[in-house]
Amino acid sequence: MFGSMRMIMIGVMVAGLAGAGAYVMKLRSDNATLKANQIKLESAVTEQKELIENQKIDFKKILDANNKINQLVNVLKKDLEDLDKRFNKKNRDVGKLAIQRTETIERITNGASALATRCIEIASGSPLTDKEKNATKKSEINSECPSIANPNYIPY
Amino acid sequence: MLTLTIFLTSCAGVKQLEIFKQEVPREKLNLNSPKPLELENLRWIIITSNNAEEVFKKLEEQGIDPVLWGLTDKDFELLAKNFARIRNQLKITNDLLDKYKEYYESEEIKDE
Repeated sequence: MFGSMRMIMIGVMVAGLAGAGAYVMKLRSDNATLKANQIKLESAVTEQKELIENQKIDFKKILDANNKINQLVNVLKKDLEDLDKRFNKKNRDVGKLAIQRTETIERITNGASALATRCIEIASGSPLTDKEKNATKKSEINSECPSIANPNYIPY
Repeated sequence: MLTLTIFLTSCAGVKQLEIFKQEVPREKLNLNSPKPLELENLRWIIITSNNAEEVFKKLEEQGIDPVLWGLTDKDFELLAKNFARIRNQLKITNDLLDKYKEYYESEEIKDE
């Protein structure tokens, strides 16, 4: 009777010890997993921060590109208004002028036509010449499209 | 008790976190930019009731057929403005294309 009780007690103790051992092993394994998870989470947070920074840079680039295109639209609009002024400034009648000073108007028309042709070439991607880049005086610029042909010209 | 302990500890396990990431880069378009235009200059001749005969005579002397395509002063003005509008549109479209290239291609360089 006493012998069998002792056997049961020993069995319980062995089982308890084995259970405790298994539990400790499990805790160790969980701890390792949690550490790995922590590293992954930290890495994910860093990646998210980088992503947010990149998004900020992208937004700035988008804003800059929009501003530049808007500026271009405005300067081109001004070129068009200037062209209108050349035809109609102070009730100017180009037809009457052409009758009175035919040769002069013909020369001016051909000169302006050549400049306008060059403007189309520039608009299609033709690189600017040094002369066009360095033009700063009214006498040096392409009067048909100074905004795209003469980047260093400041109207005065 | 041993069975119970093993059973309980197995249920309360922490699962390993898995993050999957697979990026497949899109094929590059790589279209060539169009060549800039190289245009011919036009010669405008102004013809009025006063100089018409002289103009046609000069044309004949130069071996050019004495025929001209005419525009009134108002139509000439419209033609000039139409060309200016086309030029502006061309410039804006080209610049937009450049901006798109700059934006997306610089991204690709950064990613690589």
